[in-house]
Amino acid sequence: MLRPLRIIFRIAEKDLRIEFRNRQAFLTVLFFAFLILVIFKFAFDPGEETVGGAISGILWVALLFPGVIQLNRSFQQEMEEGTLFGLLLAPVDRSWIFLGKFAANSVFLLAVDGLILLAFLALYNITARIELLWLAPLVALAGIAFCAVGTLFAAMVSTIRTRDVLLPILLFPILVPVILAAVNATREILEPVEAGFFANWVQLLAACCVIFTAGAFVAFEYVVGE
Amino acid sequence: MPDDRLSPILRLERVSRKFGPIYALRGLSLTVCKGEFIALFGPNGAGKTTLLKTIARILPPTAGKLEFCKEPMGRSVGYVSHRSLLYADLTGLENLLFYGRLYDLPDPSTAARHMLRKLDLEKAQDQIVRTYSSGMRQRLALARALLHDPELLLLDEPYSGLDRHGSRVLLELLRDLKKEGKTVLLITHNLTEGLEVCSRVLILRDGELALNRPREEISAADFERTYFQSVDG
Repeated sequence: MLRPLRIIFRIAEKDLRIEFRNRQAFLTVLFFAFLILVIFKFAFDPGEETVGGAISGILWVALLFPGVIQLNRSFQQEMEEGTLFGLLLAPVDRSWIFLGKFAANSVFLLAVDGLILLAFLALYNITARIELLWLAPLVALAGIAFCAVGTLFAAMVSTIRTRDVLLPILLFPILVPVILAAVNATREILEPVEAGFFANWVQLLAACCVIFTAGAFVAFEYVVGE
Repeated sequence: MPDDRLSPILRLERVSRKFGPIYALRGLSLTVCKGEFIALFGPNGAGKTTLLKTIARILPPTAGKLEFCKEPMGRSVGYVSHRSLLYADLTGLENLLFYGRLYDLPDPSTAARHMLRKLDLEKAQDQIVRTYSSGMRQRLALARALLHDPELLLLDEPYSGLDRHGSRVLLELLRDLKKEGKTVLLITHNLTEGLEVCSRVLILRDGELALNRPREEISAADFERTYFQSVDG
């Protein structure tokens, strides 16, 4: 295996091993997401016609908002004993560190999102049909874009005392195109229309995914450098 | 001044580092030679940690030149600070294996086990670091820093948080490093212990070197007075 890939794998493996061992973020994120789904379930009656359009929004709030907890934790643990400093001291490119952290966050989020998606389908009585499989690539694309920008911003705010508050405030405005595309594409899956823009939303999501990942990859070096 | 018989491994020429409008280092020049054991003293805010981070290339200098004379940077420096730089939820062995792989050691497992044996942590190697005492953590931190056999070891207040026993163990380790001919730059507030192991004394004041003398030229009995004279200007 090439050295950069080996290092990226080691960093991601280390993060996932730590998470697997204490399961702090996993349980918190899952519980928070489940709570969102349950609260909206009671607040709205999914059977009502006017509510139909809002369901895809509820799903994405449950998929993305709790993910901030994991992003914050991924760098908080590196700050606790100065281990980020240990990573920076090692003869590894800073972009490899970014890719390692990004990979770990993505694997974590996609695993959790899979469970949230199942809970959503069950709670909101969504009838099983083949089109629902399109939700998987949507969740993957939006999750990757979310983790790319989120990993960068989590590194940026990691030394700030108010990081827990600051991260979502910085992150979500940037993610508006991702959320917009994801919510609209999901709506078209859940409530198919004849002349929809599903392909366009997916293209926008894919473009955001590439641009955000490339941007975060380039910017990470400057963020940790200072 | 450094002994001419020793080959220089690191040169700093008029290095400055600013944080906003504030200078942490001001035009500092220094040559570190192979095998030297340098003790760096100074009050809080004098720029000691900034100097170490600049040497470790964590902080780039705002002005001036920093030159390593031999190996590529990453492998040349080991760093121990008052924070352990260890993952509390991994075991001692897992921590060393992780760092060993980052440093691309040919056999990380053998190197990690060797360091654990050397620092008397073999029995605790499979324990989660969170359960270690502060003395054990500090030894593991030292093992991590020495794992890749660095050319230069930077120690930033390694005594902080250690009880008397831990301090004694660390002092023994530092003596061993000196015997092995390791090049060490040690920051400490403990004048007696710092002076005991070093071969050169530096005192930093407001980002500038206020004193740079070989250990032989310094009287242990008068060192406290010398220190305060240098610091108070």
